Amino acid sequence: MARNFFTVMRSSAPTRTASPASNQTPSGQVTAPPPNMKQDAAAGVGVHLDPNLEAVRHDFTEEVETALQLRNVSAFYGSFQAIDKMTMPIPRNRVTALIGPSGCGKSTLLRCFNRMNDLIPGARIEGEIEFEGRNLIDPNVDAVEVRRRIGMVFQKPNPFPKSIYENVAFGARINGYSGDMDRLVEDSLRRAALWDEVKDELDKSGLALSGGQQQRLCIARAIAVQPEIILMDEPASALDPVATLKIEDLMRELAEEYTIVVVTHNMQQAGRVSDYTAFLLAGEERVGRLVEFGPTQDIFTNPIDQRTEDYITGRYG
Amino acid sequence: MSAATPTAGITPYAPRIRARRGLSVGFMVIALLAITASMLMLGALIVEIAVDGAARLFTDGSATVQEVRGETLIDLPTPENMNWLAWAMPVAILLPFLGLRVVRSLIADIPALAERAIGFATTLPVAVFVHILYVRFESAYYIEYAKAIGVDGASGNIFQLFAEASGFQFVRLIVAGLILPLGIIAAGWFWSNRLRRPSLLLPAIATAAWVVYLFLDPFFLSSYPSRLPAQAGLFSAITGTLYMMVITAAVAFPLGVGAAIYLEEYARRNWFSRMIQVNISNLAGVPSIIYGLLGLQVFVRVLEFERSVLAGACTMALLVMPIIIVSAQEALRTVPPSMREAAYAVGATRWQVIRFHVLPYAFGGMLTGNILAMSRAIGETAPLIAIGALTFIAFLADSPTDDFTVMPIQVFNWVTRPQSGFHEIAASGIIVLMLVLLVMNAAAIVMRQRTRTDW
Repeated sequence: MARNFFTVMRSSAPTRTASPASNQTPSGQVTAPPPNMKQDAAAGVGVHLDPNLEAVRHDFTEEVETALQLRNVSAFYGSFQAIDKMTMPIPRNRVTALIGPSGCGKSTLLRCFNRMNDLIPGARIEGEIEFEGRNLIDPNVDAVEVRRRIGMVFQKPNPFPKSIYENVAFGARINGYSGDMDRLVEDSLRRAALWDEVKDELDKSGLALSGGQQQRLCIARAIAVQPEIILMDEPASALDPVATLKIEDLMRELAEEYTIVVVTHNMQQAGRVSDYTAFLLAGEERVGRLVEFGPTQDIFTNPIDQRTEDYITGRYG
Repeated sequence: MSAATPTAGITPYAPRIRARRGLSVGFMVIALLAITASMLMLGALIVEIAVDGAARLFTDGSATVQEVRGETLIDLPTPENMNWLAWAMPVAILLPFLGLRVVRSLIADIPALAERAIGFATTLPVAVFVHILYVRFESAYYIEYAKAIGVDGASGNIFQLFAEASGFQFVRLIVAGLILPLGIIAAGWFWSNRLRRPSLLLPAIATAAWVVYLFLDPFFLSSYPSRLPAQAGLFSAITGTLYMMVITAAVAFPLGVGAAIYLEEYARRNWFSRMIQVNISNLAGVPSIIYGLLGLQVFVRVLEFERSVLAGACTMALLVMPIIIVSAQEALRTVPPSMREAAYAVGATRWQVIRFHVLPYAFGGMLTGNILAMSRAIGETAPLIAIGALTFIAFLADSPTDDFTVMPIQVFNWVTRPQSGFHEIAASGIIVLMLVLLVMNAAAIVMRQRTRTDW
């Protein structure tokens, strides 16, 4: 799907000069240009963050605060290195998409942000993830507190086998929320665009809902603890197109209040919902590296790195 | 009208066709024979028991009043009188089930049977049960009354008198030919629908209880051991078993579940936890007599619990601990990792994840394992003999430090006696033990089904 969309857009519409870069690399070309960088990359379109890492970053045209700042983040599972020295910002109150082929470390990176990898025996993180002036990865930082302030929504909807109300209230309750619980539950469900569908059956089991509703319930559950950042690991990959659309609309709305980081395999989805995109890629040794980071518009229409363009146009991945 | 005429005979839908049930004629004949036979047999059985049996079984008919050292003993009926029941009962119970498919096809054609009437028919066993209970107590009073007015032995009870007056054969025919078929048909009708099935539970339990009651004499459950088989009972053994099981569960369940939680949720996967794991599996295979010797040394001698309920319960707790740990671990493993992740992701601590999510979801499985472990403990004899549980306890244990006995030890003791009367009550004791085990295992299965979560 993604392949067709982008290929058609770029190659069969000659009147539409999408970008000078794509003109120079027609899809039929067999011999690749110099590895990683396209010829005109140095002409001011983008700059290297660190030439050694071969990752490029587009210039931001808008002023945004940084919610998370990654510096040389590497992650390991035992002796296996999953991601290598990633450096990038996560802009505040924006949707940032992590894209890349399977096994490039997107989910691993996402799980670094709220220390979810701590739960996996043998997993460890190196580098620095700055969050409000502190390094998240520091063992002295309480992982439980990190997870409360950086919520997460998983690939497969996983509501607790309890009532809808309890699903939402649980996080607030264990974190010592002393306000009006009914109000919080209603608020969270409203913001997750689920209230109208479930307001009369809050006692029903969360498992009795449909897949899309379950995922929105999980989002409500994440919102209820009032986090600053919400991580979403392919939140719509198990849903049908209509439910996917609802989740995407929801992400756009939530981005006004929260910083959202979303992992997705669906390039159109990344294009639709995200403000910024990071493209990750694993090399021969299966270690994930950041290739390119920038505003989604730029990444999709004017990628600097050859590999990004290849991925976006569906040449691999 | 005229417009409707062409289609008058042709409805838009095909006429309802009852799907032919794929039953061969031969099978149908066999099944019908089986039903008829079982009905007759059950009918005969009920009448026999209710009319003849009531006289024989229920204290007055064959009860012989003996005077032993100034004490009046009532010699209760012996199992020999009931030998014919042993084969008639299973056959009578099994045959209707073999013919159930036919019954179902039959009742599908009788929509006129009102639901209420059928419900009434199925509760017939309850009525019979209650009535027999009444007759039994009444005849007990009757014998007292007869003694009081100086009549030697009772020659009959009200039920028997009624049967004789109204014609024995007639009652038998009525019961066999009318009530039982209705009951079976009704049972089949109830069974045919998943939603209606639970309503069979009460009549089934009542019938089972009734059958048990016929075999079992309440005095057997409520008397202490005696040197006379006719007077000996299981009372102290049953209470001893209950007492010991409660303490065993109280000791073994928290310890076992705690160990399982540690091993599954907290322990790192290293050589130490692997060693513990392997040894738990090993302990599950150690012969129970070894636990008895361990209990003898540790609890009876070193800790000086003496031959008490507490010592027995602690030994049993050790014995069943591996079973509880392994089943609790299994239960914990069935909780999907996504549930744990979901709880962690909203800022739960490890203990909160376990307390509010893992444990509640796994609790049913843990309880099931616990019940199965308890049913193993109930049947264990060797370790208790090793720690010296007594076989003749004519009192109830007041505190955990008192002497005690349990059902298998009591049965063991009766079997080793030379008198044949003791052998018979040993058989009765085994039936009681088996019924207890059956009920516990059934409870475990029901619990497992009910607490299962479909993720």
